[in-house]
Amino acid sequence: MQYPNENAAPPLNTASGVYDWSWALRGMRNLFSLPALVLLSAFIGFGGLARNAGLPLWEMIFLIPTIWALPSHLVLLAGIVSGAPLITIALGVTLAAIRMMPMTMALMPEIRAPGTKQWHLLLTSNFVAVTAWVHTLQRAKDIPRRGRLPYFVGFAGTMATATTIAATLVYQLAPALPSIVVAGLYFLTPIYFATATWNTARVKSEHLALVLGFFLGPVAIYYVPSAGILIAGVVGGFSAYGVGRLLAKKGRG
Amino acid sequence: MYYNSFDTWWWPFLFIFLAGILPTSIWRWAGVLLVGNVDEESQILVLIRCVATSLVAAVIAQFVFFPSGPLADIPLWVRLGAALGGFAAFLFWGRQMIVGILAGEAILLLGYVLFVP
Repeated sequence: MQYPNENAAPPLNTASGVYDWSWALRGMRNLFSLPALVLLSAFIGFGGLARNAGLPLWEMIFLIPTIWALPSHLVLLAGIVSGAPLITIALGVTLAAIRMMPMTMALMPEIRAPGTKQWHLLLTSNFVAVTAWVHTLQRAKDIPRRGRLPYFVGFAGTMATATTIAATLVYQLAPALPSIVVAGLYFLTPIYFATATWNTARVKSEHLALVLGFFLGPVAIYYVPSAGILIAGVVGGFSAYGVGRLLAKKGRG
Repeated sequence: MYYNSFDTWWWPFLFIFLAGILPTSIWRWAGVLLVGNVDEESQILVLIRCVATSLVAAVIAQFVFFPSGPLADIPLWVRLGAALGGFAAFLFWGRQMIVGILAGEAILLLGYVLFVP
């Protein structure tokens, strides 16, 4: 992917301190990049979905930036709609969010500056989600150490704000829109999801897991509406992993 | 405990914290604390990513097979066609997400225009 070269220019100022916050502004500019607009579209869909599910507006505004992980948003919303108990929903959300751990582990050594405290990283990690993560990892080598954390926070913080505003607009405007438009907006979320997940997968078993989950999901949801997503995730994930291991062994022998 | 267990203004927010925010961010904090101590390519992490991916796929399937609202007015096979067609276009044209989104939306719209009275 191509990004404007101006981002690689020297920092706007060289004030002393652990971080060079002028890079936060450069991070914010990425709001108008293609990956950011694609993510925005997914949250436009989420705004309509939340309204349709009957989630009150302020609860949606609260949960978008604080959770800041679309898989968790959707599992939580689906759980609330199906009337599942707290523990089942929390289990589903946490399984959907596990990928945040390896993502955080990959990003933190890249954005750490000399003098960075552990709590800076703990706070910053709440912004880890796929779009800003992929982008910052790709760009980190062109950014001075002291500018990397500000750059990431600037980008992710702007995205969190913009997506919450977009979802709020759709939430409020949905009743005034023709039904095909609303249907089209909803549909943005699953396609965004399928393609983003496919692109961040690193081994074949993850691709297989995506396919298995897609076809196991409806069956599991049909028979166990409140825990179908959880069941499909565990069964599909373990099967895909098992098949991947078998294929790897066969390949060697 | 359930989402509508308590009829107070703060319970939904506490519910969202316990069922959504905490179970998500705990993995980010674990990531910060474990940097350098866990091999990113270890088999257990591959298994974990597989389960997470399958779970996300089940969420995607829910949109296609059991949608709510106006999406439910469009026949299942049009929704399925739009999802699979959009994904095929994404794979064919260099894994560009924007291609998948535009193609999927175009098929959905076409199906609506042709088959929904």
